Amino acid sequence: MANIVKKEEIIYPYLEKPLSVYTFDNGHKAVLAYKKSPLVNISSWVKTGSINENSENNGVSHFVEHLLFKGTTKYPAGVFDRTMEENGGIINAATWKDYTFYYINIPKNHYKIALEMHADMIVDALFPEEEIGPKFNPSGEAPKEKRERYVVIEEIRMGEDNNWRKVYKNLNSIMYEQHPYKREVIGTKEIIANISQKEIYRYYKTFYVPSNITTIAVGEFDENEMIKLIQENFKFKDNSEIEKCKTDNQTPEYKIKNPKTTMDYADVNTGYLMMGALCASAKNLKETIALDLLSTILGDGKSSRLYLNLIENVNNPYYYQVESCHYQFKDGDNFFIEANFDADKKDIVVKELKEHLDNLSHITEQELKKAKKRAKVNFAQESELVGDIADAIGYWTTVCDDISLAHKYLSTLDEIDCEYLEQIAKKYLSSNLVSTSLLLPKGEK
Amino acid sequence: MEEYKRNNINILLEKTPSTPRYALNLFFKLSKKEKYYGVNSLLARLLLQGTKKYSAAQLALEFENECIDISTKAKQDYIKLSLVFLNEDFKKALELTKELILNSTFDDFEKEVYKIKGEIISDLDNPKLKLTDAFIKNLYKNHPYSSCHTKILDDIDKITKKDIIDAHDEILKSQKAVVLVGDFDNKDEILDCIQNEFQFMQNGSSENQIEDIFRADLEKDELVWLTKDDASQAQIIQGWIVDSFNSSMCAKIAVMNNILGSSGLSSRLFVNLRDKQGLAYTVRSQYETMLHSAVFSMYIGTAPKNIKKSLEGFELELKKMANEEISKKELKGAKENISGRLKYFTQNNSQIASMEGYNYIMGLGLEYNKLFLDDVSNVTSEDVNKVAKMLLEMPKLITIIAPDEYKISLDE
Repeated sequence: MANIVKKEEIIYPYLEKPLSVYTFDNGHKAVLAYKKSPLVNISSWVKTGSINENSENNGVSHFVEHLLFKGTTKYPAGVFDRTMEENGGIINAATWKDYTFYYINIPKNHYKIALEMHADMIVDALFPEEEIGPKFNPSGEAPKEKRERYVVIEEIRMGEDNNWRKVYKNLNSIMYEQHPYKREVIGTKEIIANISQKEIYRYYKTFYVPSNITTIAVGEFDENEMIKLIQENFKFKDNSEIEKCKTDNQTPEYKIKNPKTTMDYADVNTGYLMMGALCASAKNLKETIALDLLSTILGDGKSSRLYLNLIENVNNPYYYQVESCHYQFKDGDNFFIEANFDADKKDIVVKELKEHLDNLSHITEQELKKAKKRAKVNFAQESELVGDIADAIGYWTTVCDDISLAHKYLSTLDEIDCEYLEQIAKKYLSSNLVSTSLLLPKGEK
Repeated sequence: MEEYKRNNINILLEKTPSTPRYALNLFFKLSKKEKYYGVNSLLARLLLQGTKKYSAAQLALEFENECIDISTKAKQDYIKLSLVFLNEDFKKALELTKELILNSTFDDFEKEVYKIKGEIISDLDNPKLKLTDAFIKNLYKNHPYSSCHTKILDDIDKITKKDIIDAHDEILKSQKAVVLVGDFDNKDEILDCIQNEFQFMQNGSSENQIEDIFRADLEKDELVWLTKDDASQAQIIQGWIVDSFNSSMCAKIAVMNNILGSSGLSSRLFVNLRDKQGLAYTVRSQYETMLHSAVFSMYIGTAPKNIKKSLEGFELELKKMANEEISKKELKGAKENISGRLKYFTQNNSQIASMEGYNYIMGLGLEYNKLFLDDVSNVTSEDVNKVAKMLLEMPKLITIIAPDEYKISLDE
């Protein structure tokens, strides 16, 4: 059983009590948060995702996420899902570029069995061959035994029918020079159809180690009992003998070196556009907050610059949707503008959106005030559901590697003025620093 | 949740300690068929598009400067305004809401028609939305519940500004409810504020003119095929019109639905069609209840060559559900799962206001969730068998979107 080597209390906005952050002697961390609720949320966040993949195993992080549900020494495939759901639980998992996480929302009287089975799944996944299914050629005949390889391939196929996903995939691939972020998290059909059980297991053994994992519990429970359950049930195995998976060069890219434009065509009636910039690391709190504020000012809501100027104050608007968003990553954030529009107008759309980016070099006090209030309210919003609280803690511990940043967010926010925002806009969001991806109706020039 | 009547206003209040934001919902019950499809949707949108005092842009600023989140929604049986805001902004939120309801000018009518047409055309680029649209249109035929994107697109140019004003007058005469959930100190002060500011929320007496539908008017199985040659997946919805919450069948259908395909990763459709056969990433069943009717449906997204196999899978799982005893463990698990999901979907103030307000305006009462769970606890294996048999005997509607080369007919 791992021993506790450190316990800290971290004040967290809008929660009644500070978070308890435990570090064990094997490097595993646990964060416990009190929230009055009929449900308890239990999750484990693993610091791995497509960032740790290469061109041979792209998609393996997400495939591992599927396969963790396929049985352990103690519980064969299906037992975990059934037990949790017949106790009123809602379970799932997600994989992204920097992390993979597994969660359970369950009525609070069942949290012990939930914690026990959740820990078992994280530390003792078996990856049975019969659950993975046989290798096959994805452009040839499908095998009789389809199993989980085929499920993931259906997920890939589903994404191929999603217009926004197509636009994002194309944009993501041209924004980066070399960084592994340039690959799709879900991987390719060819790799998923052919990756061996041995390679999958090696990836799991390389990255699912205690120092890479934070377990989070949010809700009403006895804290001493919960931490004891975590200590007793997370029985990590010794992986030191494993030949570790190789990762690609992960030098961060904080600006697009060669801005490009890509165009794709599909059976659609309207045009789709994403314009993207690379920015500061999520760990750079002040710059990240500034980008949050700029996104609010530019394209969040009906009083944002984009909505007012391109839809609301226009007689016959040719935009059906236009907004901006900011996604945080360990090796550099992404800032996007998304627009859905009358495809005939694509040239003017690109021109107008670039002008709006350049206009971010002038911010008014009123805009700053509104954006700051939105940032504060977003914190309040994230404190409403046990699942949202857990997700926010997971983000701070995994992507930023520093949960105390959550507490510093609001005071850092207060330091930001218009001049600083304008500097950040010029530094990262000038129109000569963005790449553009368009999806247009077939036949459109 | 507590119910109050003040000056003929139905007010529901629930105090939730230590929550920084209030949720306020205003419900207006619909009792007449729309003159044209899309009238209620347009009305709901136009409520945010300008008043005597504020233009649409000014309204957006008034709300967003204070981070008052507001949305309006027209559903089959009601129109709802939902607001979420910091506790300190209560009076401002009330004042703005009153302005929207009493002083909307609808001057942006033509512009909003233009916008809605564009958004529908864009939405129909999404194959799943296109499929759902065809399913609802063909299932409900001419009933008001058949309102969907393509029907709105057909009708929208016939709608006039006067139709919107008439629909607005109609909702002011309708049955209504105000729901507030949050951490308020003084209940009486809150009630006084609502009573004084929201006199327009006095309960009306509009009588229902919408016919009940409890059975499909399909005489035999129907297949609606939508061709999308560049689709990677085929998507299928198979469904029936069934009894809704005002029937003793409701809890039985809910339990059957949970076991078949809505409990999550352990439902029968998920385990047998996804896990064991690898046919899909998404496969599930759904039971959607409304005032006059409900829909039970199964959905799968699969490789186009697996269309037939998927439909056979649906049929086989329904037959097993109809003919085999449901184990005590599976039955108990389904009941626990339904109860857990209810807790999951009523966690924050916004979710509570929405669910309790809906139950109230539908005439189900404030104890409905508890009564529903009591009914669920009494469902037997035989009840579940009967529901599945009923579905097998009723004509079904199948809608499919996929490349033309995979087209099937019902004869196959």
